[in-house]
Order: sequence, then structure tokens, then C-alpha cells
Amino acid sequence: MAWTALVFAGIFEMFGVAMINKLHQDRNWQSLTLLILGFGASFVLLAYAMETLAMGTAYAVWTGIGASGGAIIGMLFYNESKDWKRILFIAMVLGAAVGLKLVS
Amino acid sequence: MNSNWVKVIIAAVFEVGWVIGLKHSDSLLDWALTVVAIVISFYVMIMAGRELPVGTVYAVFVGLGTGGTVLAEIVLFNEPFSVAKLVMVGILLAGVIGLKLVTNDTPSEGREA
Repeated sequence: MAWTALVFAGIFEMFGVAMINKLHQDRNWQSLTLLILGFGASFVLLAYAMETLAMGTAYAVWTGIGASGGAIIGMLFYNESKDWKRILFIAMVLGAAVGLKLVS
Repeated sequence: MNSNWVKVIIAAVFEVGWVIGLKHSDSLLDWALTVVAIVISFYVMIMAGRELPVGTVYAVFVGLGTGGTVLAEIVLFNEPFSVAKLVMVGILLAGVIGLKLVTNDTPSEGREA
């Protein structure tokens, strides 16, 4: 159950990042509301998952799913660069962030 | 340096503040400052994405926030120092600098860069 909640927390985070893109595109309250609801749901589910799972593990999985998923959505739907160098550097940043959360 | 990258860094600094706040707050004032830091960091991060690619901004925001928090905990709260942590912060910074170099700072139309 905790793991299911954690995966959904990551999915809502991806959704939140996608809504940042949408907000810049539409500039309306609807997108802002969806953005806040997305991150809000993500944090609630993350907090729930952390009641059972180790904090470092939960944070690492959450960051990994949400931030890499957010970048992939940007490439698929919002014309962000698919340059291999960009993908490599994003992977380095997120890989290091996940690693730090696991060892801390 | 483009002002949008400065915004990402400012957002990450406030992120370090509120992550520490979530962990160590024990008074109403601490909690109030933590909430203010959350709002400022998200606002500045979102604004940085107006001209930079959002996926890049979010990855850098999360990465610098994590790296900064780990370093702050070592310096301020006597968390154990380890070579592994330092190596990962190094990789993280190399990735951020790389992203800065391959990202077109001033896309004229949309966020295609």
C-alpha cells in the first residue's frame, strides 16, 4: 500500500511539472489550480508513504519518478529539447540527487 | 549569467531552507518561515520556467535543493561527512553546469530550446 501511494505520489508530481508547462502556455487560474492540486496530492501521498517506508528511500523514488517523468512529458508534449546531451545532464543531476537521498 | 538561471538558484536556496524547516521547526515562527520559504521557492522556480525548459528547471531545482540540503546538514547539524556524498554533489554540479551550457537561454518563440 505504501509503495502504491509512493508511485502515485510520483505520478502526481509528474502531473504537477506538466501543469507548470501548461500554466506558461495558458496563463489562467485553471492551470494554476491543477498545478497546486497536483503537487498537493503528491506531497500528501509522499507523507503517507513515509509513515511506512524509510524516508531516504521514499524521497529517492519520488524524486526519480516525478522529475524524470516531468522532463519526459516536457519532451513529448511541450517541445522541450530531446538532445542527448540534455538528457545525459538531466540524468546526471537526478542520478546524483537520488543517490544522495539514498545515502543520507 | 542569464537571470532565469539566477532564479533557479534562488529557488533552490529557499528549498534548502524549507527542507531544513520541515525537519527542525519547533515553534510557530519556524513553521511560518518554512511555509513562506515553500511559497517563495515554488514561485521563483515556476517563473524561471517561463523562458527555460520546465523539465530542466525542475531537475536543477530538485538537484540543487538536495545537494544543498546534504551540505547544509553536514555544516549546520553535524551529519556525517562521506566521500560518497561529496562525489555525488560533484556529479550533480557537473550536470547542472552542463545543462546551463546546452540550454538556449533566450528562446525567441516558445520553449523549444
